[in-house]
Amino acid sequence: MIRLDDVGYTYPDAPAPALQHVSLEVPPGSITGVVGASGAGKTTLAKVIAGFIPQVEGGELTGSATVDGRNLAELSLVEAVSKVGLVIQNPFNQISGARYTVRGEIAFGLENLGTPRAEMAAGVDEVAALLRITDLLDRSPYALSGGQMQLVAIASMLVLRTPVLVMDEPTSQLDPAGTRLVFSVLDTLEEAGVTVVIFEHKLELLQAHADRLLVLADRTIALAGTPTEVLADERLSGWGIGATRYTRAARLARERGLIGAEVPLPVSFDQAAAVFGTGAGGAR
Amino acid sequence: MSSTLYVERPSAVHRLNPVTKLVALLCVIVVVFAIPQWWASGAVLLLVIVPAAVISGCGGALARIGGQILLPLLVVLVLVQGLTFPGGQTVLWRWGPLALTTEGLMFAATIGARIVVLVLSSVLLVLTTHPGDLMSALTEAGMSPRFAYIISSTLQLIPSFRARADSILLAQQARGLAVPRNPVRRLGVLMPLLAPLVLGMFTDVEERSTAMEARGFGSTAKRTTLTPVRDSRAQKVARWVMPAVALLAVVLQVGWGLL
Amino acid sequence: MTSSATATPNKSRNLALVVGGTVIVLATYLYLVISQPTELQTSSTAPAGLIAMAGYLVGAVLIAAGSIHRLSTTTIAMIPVAIALNIVVGQLVAVIGLPVYLDSMGTVLVAALAGPAAGVVTGILTNVIWGLTLSPIVLPFAVVQVVIGMMAGYAARGGLFRKPWLPPIAGALTGVVAAMISAPISAFIFGGATGGGTGALVGMFQAMGQSLLGATTMQGLLSDPLDKLISFTVVYLVLSALPARFKQRFPFVRQYQVFGKAPAAKA
Repeated sequence: MIRLDDVGYTYPDAPAPALQHVSLEVPPGSITGVVGASGAGKTTLAKVIAGFIPQVEGGELTGSATVDGRNLAELSLVEAVSKVGLVIQNPFNQISGARYTVRGEIAFGLENLGTPRAEMAAGVDEVAALLRITDLLDRSPYALSGGQMQLVAIASMLVLRTPVLVMDEPTSQLDPAGTRLVFSVLDTLEEAGVTVVIFEHKLELLQAHADRLLVLADRTIALAGTPTEVLADERLSGWGIGATRYTRAARLARERGLIGAEVPLPVSFDQAAAVFGTGAGGAR
Repeated sequence: MSSTLYVERPSAVHRLNPVTKLVALLCVIVVVFAIPQWWASGAVLLLVIVPAAVISGCGGALARIGGQILLPLLVVLVLVQGLTFPGGQTVLWRWGPLALTTEGLMFAATIGARIVVLVLSSVLLVLTTHPGDLMSALTEAGMSPRFAYIISSTLQLIPSFRARADSILLAQQARGLAVPRNPVRRLGVLMPLLAPLVLGMFTDVEERSTAMEARGFGSTAKRTTLTPVRDSRAQKVARWVMPAVALLAVVLQVGWGLL
Repeated sequence: MTSSATATPNKSRNLALVVGGTVIVLATYLYLVISQPTELQTSSTAPAGLIAMAGYLVGAVLIAAGSIHRLSTTTIAMIPVAIALNIVVGQLVAVIGLPVYLDSMGTVLVAALAGPAAGVVTGILTNVIWGLTLSPIVLPFAVVQVVIGMMAGYAARGGLFRKPWLPPIAGALTGVVAAMISAPISAFIFGGATGGGTGALVGMFQAMGQSLLGATTMQGLLSDPLDKLISFTVVYLVLSALPARFKQRFPFVRQYQVFGKAPAAKA
C-alpha cells in the first residue's frame, strides 16, 4: 500500500536533512506503528506519507514514495489527501470550527470536495456508527472531551474514504481515558480494511494493537519487524525510545538476580506472566 | 458554543432565509438614510422592526441589548449636537460658548432616530439568525466559502481565546501585578499578556492549516452543503421588491431635492 | 504555493475589484469633503449619510472580494486568531481603561506577515464579527479597518518593518489616513457621537466654530495616529521577539524581505 525507497528530505533552508535513506513498506489493511525519540523525524515522515511534503512545505525530497501505486511527488495535494488521511496531535486544532455541530464538522471535508448531499449524509451516519459517536452528532464540536474530539477528527478523515490513515501522535495530548478511546478504534479500523500508520510513544498499546513496528532513529528506519521482535531489541533504550513496562520490570528483576540472564525479556503481559511465573497466568 | 447574540426561538422570523433578512436590513437602512426626517425612521421602527421583534419572540432581548448600545450614544448625541450644532440659529438657552438650539435638537433627533433603526434592525437580525445558517445562505448566494470559514471559525475561537487571555491576566495579577494609574505603564501591563497570545497563535496556525488541507479545503471542486438553506417563492419575490422600494425612496428624495 | 495555481485565471478580475473598490472609497471621501453637505437639510440633493454608508460599504466589499482569493490556506488559518486578538485585546484595553483602542493589532500583525490582501480580509471581518457579537455600530467603520490592513501590508512590503524607528512613522501615517476616512462616518451617520470622550471632543471643536465634518476629522486626528503608532510599534516589538525561522516561513516575508535579509541558517 505504502512504499518508500531510499527517501531523503531536507526542509527549505535547513542545513541538514530531516530524513535520509528511509525505506519501508506498509501492507494494505495493516496497522503499522512507528516509534522514535522526539526529533527523530516522526512528524516529517508522517507528512511525507500524507503528501504534505514536499507539496506544502517545499524543500527537497529524494528517492521514491508511492501510495496505492501512485508516486506521491507527482500528485497534487488535493489528490494526495484523497489517498491518505492525516490525524494530528492536538485535537482542538483539527476542529475546523466552520460548522456548529459534530455532524457538520464531519461533513466539512465532503462539502469541500463537492459530494452530493444524500451521499454526504449517509457517509456521516455510517462513519459515526462505525466509531460509535452517533450520540455526539448534534453536539457542538467544542463541547467534547479531548478523546471525543480526536474521534471526531478521525471520523472527519474516514468519511473521505481515504484508503490510508496516518496518525501523528494522536494521543499525546489526551488523558488516559481519551488514549484508550482512540486505541479502541484502531481494531475497528483494521476490520474496516483501512491501512493505518500510527506514530506513537505508548509501547504497551502499540504492542497490543499494531501488526508491525518501525523504529525511526537518526533520521532513518533503524529497525522493522513484529512488535514482539522490535520491542525485545536491546538497542531501543539507546535510541531514546525506552522499553515497555514489562521489559523494565524484568530488567529490574534480572539486576536483582530474581530471574536468570538467559531468560528473554518480556514485551507483553502474557510473556511477563510466563517469565514471572506464578499466579498471574489466569488474570487476563 | 459560539459567541454571537443568537437566541433560539421557534418563530417565523427565525425560519426566514437569512439572505432575505439581510436584504430587508439593508433596505431598511437605505430608506431611513435616504429620507432625512425623524418621522421616516419612526415609521420604519413602528411598522417594521417592532412587529418583527414581537413575532420573533426576541423583543425583550432586543430591548435590553439595544438599550445598552443606544442609551450612551443618544445621550452624547443630544448633548453634543443640542449644545454645539454648527447650524444652530434659534437659541433656546445659552451658557458661554454652548447654545441649546432648536436646529441642533432637530438634528440630534433625526440622526438619533436613524441610529436607533440601524442598531435595532441589525441586532434583530443577529438575534434571529444562527451564524452558521447565515454563512451557508451567503455562500449559496455566491460569497466565497473562505469568508464563511473565517467568520464561523473566529466565532467559535473567541470564547477559548478570551478564556486564555483571562487566565493570563489572572496569572499576572496573582504574581502581584496591579493595574497602574499611569496610562503608559498600563500599556506595559498589556505587553506580557500579548506575547503568549501571539506565540500560541503561531504554533497553532500550522497545525490548523495542515488539518484544513487534509480535508480538501484547497480543493477547486464546486462545493456542496450538508443542510439545504430554507427558501420560498414568496421570499424570492420579496428579495426583489424590497430593494425596488428602497430605490424608489432614494429616487423620490433626490427628485424632491432637485425640484 | 498550492493556491497560486487556482488564483491565476482570476488575477485580473481580483485586481479590478481591488482597484475599483479603492477608487469608490476615495471618490466617496472626496465627494463628501468637497461638496461639504454641511448639515442635514431637507433640500439636500444627495443624503450625505447614505452616500458615506453606501460608498464605503461597496468599496470595502469589493476590496475584500478581490483580496480573499490571493490568500494561502496558512494565511486563512491565521486570520481567525488575528481577529480574535483584535477583539479580545480591544475589549481588554477598554476594561483596563486605556485612552486608545488597540483593536487593530491583529490586522497589522497579519498584514506584516502575509501582505496587504491578508490585512484587508482581517480588517473587514474584524468589524463584521464585532458587529455579530458585541455591537453593530462598528459595521459602518469596516472600511477604516480595510484601509489599515492595506496600508500596514504595503508598509511591510516597502521595508518599514526593518528598522525600529520606522513602524511608529508608518503607524502614525496610517492613523492620519484612518482618521480622515472615518470622519465622514462619525459625522454623517453618528452625528459625532461615537462615544463619551470622542463626543466631548467633537462638541468642543464645534463650539470653537468647526463644521461637523471638520470637528470629527480633528477628533480623529487626535486619537487615531497615536493609536496606530502604538499598535504598529507593539506589533514590531512582538515580532522582533519571535525567532526568525517562524517569520521566514511566510512567503510574503521572504519575497519582500519584510524584516531585512534572512539570517543565514545556522547548524
